[in-house]
Amino acid sequence: MVAIMRPGHHGSMESVLNVRPRQLRALGWAALFPAVMCLCFVCWGARPWTWIAVSAAAAVTLLTPAVAADLLAVALLGFASYAFALIGRNETLPPGSGTTAGYPFHSVVFGSGPPHTVDLAAGLLMLAVGAWLVPRTIGVHSRLSRRNGDLLNRVRRLTITRVDAVDTAAAELRRIERDLHDGAQARLIALGISLRATEGLIRTNPEAAVALVAESRENSARALTELRALVRGIHPPVLAERGLGDAIRALALDCPVPATAEVDLPGRLPAPVEAAAYFAVAEALANAAKHAEARSVHIRATHAAGALRIEVTDDGAGGADPSRGTGLRGVERRLGTFDGVLAVSSPPGGPTIVVIEVPCGS
Amino acid sequence: MRVVIAEDQFLLREGMASLLKEHGFDVAEAVGDGPSLLRALTSQRPDVAIVDVRLPPAYTDEGLRAALEARRQVPGLPVLILSTHVERLYARELLADQAGGVGYLLKDRVFTDEQFTDALRTVARGGTVMDPEVVAKLLARRSGQPPVARLTDRERQVLELMAEGRSNSAIGQRLVITEKAVSKHCTSIFAKLDLPPSDDDNRRVLAVLTYLDS
Repeated sequence: MVAIMRPGHHGSMESVLNVRPRQLRALGWAALFPAVMCLCFVCWGARPWTWIAVSAAAAVTLLTPAVAADLLAVALLGFASYAFALIGRNETLPPGSGTTAGYPFHSVVFGSGPPHTVDLAAGLLMLAVGAWLVPRTIGVHSRLSRRNGDLLNRVRRLTITRVDAVDTAAAELRRIERDLHDGAQARLIALGISLRATEGLIRTNPEAAVALVAESRENSARALTELRALVRGIHPPVLAERGLGDAIRALALDCPVPATAEVDLPGRLPAPVEAAAYFAVAEALANAAKHAEARSVHIRATHAAGALRIEVTDDGAGGADPSRGTGLRGVERRLGTFDGVLAVSSPPGGPTIVVIEVPCGS
Repeated sequence: MRVVIAEDQFLLREGMASLLKEHGFDVAEAVGDGPSLLRALTSQRPDVAIVDVRLPPAYTDEGLRAALEARRQVPGLPVLILSTHVERLYARELLADQAGGVGYLLKDRVFTDEQFTDALRTVARGGTVMDPEVVAKLLARRSGQPPVARLTDRERQVLELMAEGRSNSAIGQRLVITEKAVSKHCTSIFAKLDLPPSDDDNRRVLAVLTYLDS
């Protein structure tokens, strides 16, 4: 079983679904327009009704996307049907009155004279050209509408990832506020209180004052420890100091499971990408150690073709389901902000491979 | 003993300088950024340097890099690195040349004068001092594995203190046991870890750290 999560994946599915109906619709219109023209001319000839109906059909065609390409094909089919309409009309005219009166386009398009053979030939030619042209213009049409669909998907995806990014940032700020409030802030308040008490005791009871000072020192040390842990969670110092490559090496060194790191990265990447990738690797390593009972982990980080790619492979029990854990979900959301993807392959019995890919220039 | 201090925060720099003067050290120079640190280290050749990892201009690892570069130019130049966080990666880089005269401590340790000045003297003598947090990280990964798991609790405590760079007498004081008992534990630890026994304090620390870091 391979469980794969790809933020970009549902996007491409949609774009496939988007293009197909559009192509069909374009075909429908392309057929409708000449059909309407044909019907109008056969029934009414060149009367005001005809022009109104033909204009309405043209307007509907114009409303479809990528019309320019369709219109050419439609126009040619239109001329073809016009020619057939003439023939049909002529046959219904009383014998001997075979004129082209009432067909204003006829002399312009086909010249004067008996319409029958010339009309037929012109109609067939137009039909052939139309048949040749339609598949081609539909190709152009679908390319144009696919671009449209892609842009639509892009907007949809950006909307989702932007909401995710804002939510994640807000949750992160709340967590930091809570940690500071319950941790360092509380410690500093305790520190202030014991210093105040020390101030009062320093002359009257030096021994108690010394004990309080020791307690204060303890409190300040604890505050520092807590701040250190907090800072690590916000932006790991080693990442700020050394960049992603060494930060991954540091993660490998600190991992409770023996981990090897193979890093081939050019210089520094954009800071937010580095941070997102760092936390993704940290999460993958934590999972390998906690859930998979892995004996060894291998991390491979490369930068090729404008994308950062990191693979974390462990030899653990496998069977990881990324949709169930909140950790990898969070990582996926964070990567999504940079159009990054996370893929997990974890068959029962292992191995588990977590792949992270983030497009970014170096 | 001549000391060079590299720390960009004025209060901490001055506080450290006055603390060291109180303890009889001679502060040769106190600098606040990477380039002037490298210059001070190579021109002053202090008995020991106290270096903050993160220094201006870029606030990355200028301090550490300047210290490593100075040690390349002046092999064995004693350096005590201070940081708000400790990384095994940095410890490994500092220990790589196996020359000793290296310390790596959390800044918090400055609060405890004796621990700090003891460490400074050990480094100046060519010894190695590692922060208990580095040692804890090293041990955490090894604790489940057979050789380390075979150690008794007492031996583990001794191993921890040994890896931090303490002498037998300091370990004895800390654990309230005799120096003789400490050296017995050491022999047993070295036998269990299959390390060649060594009387030289510094070589002993390096051997233990290398073992734990491998």
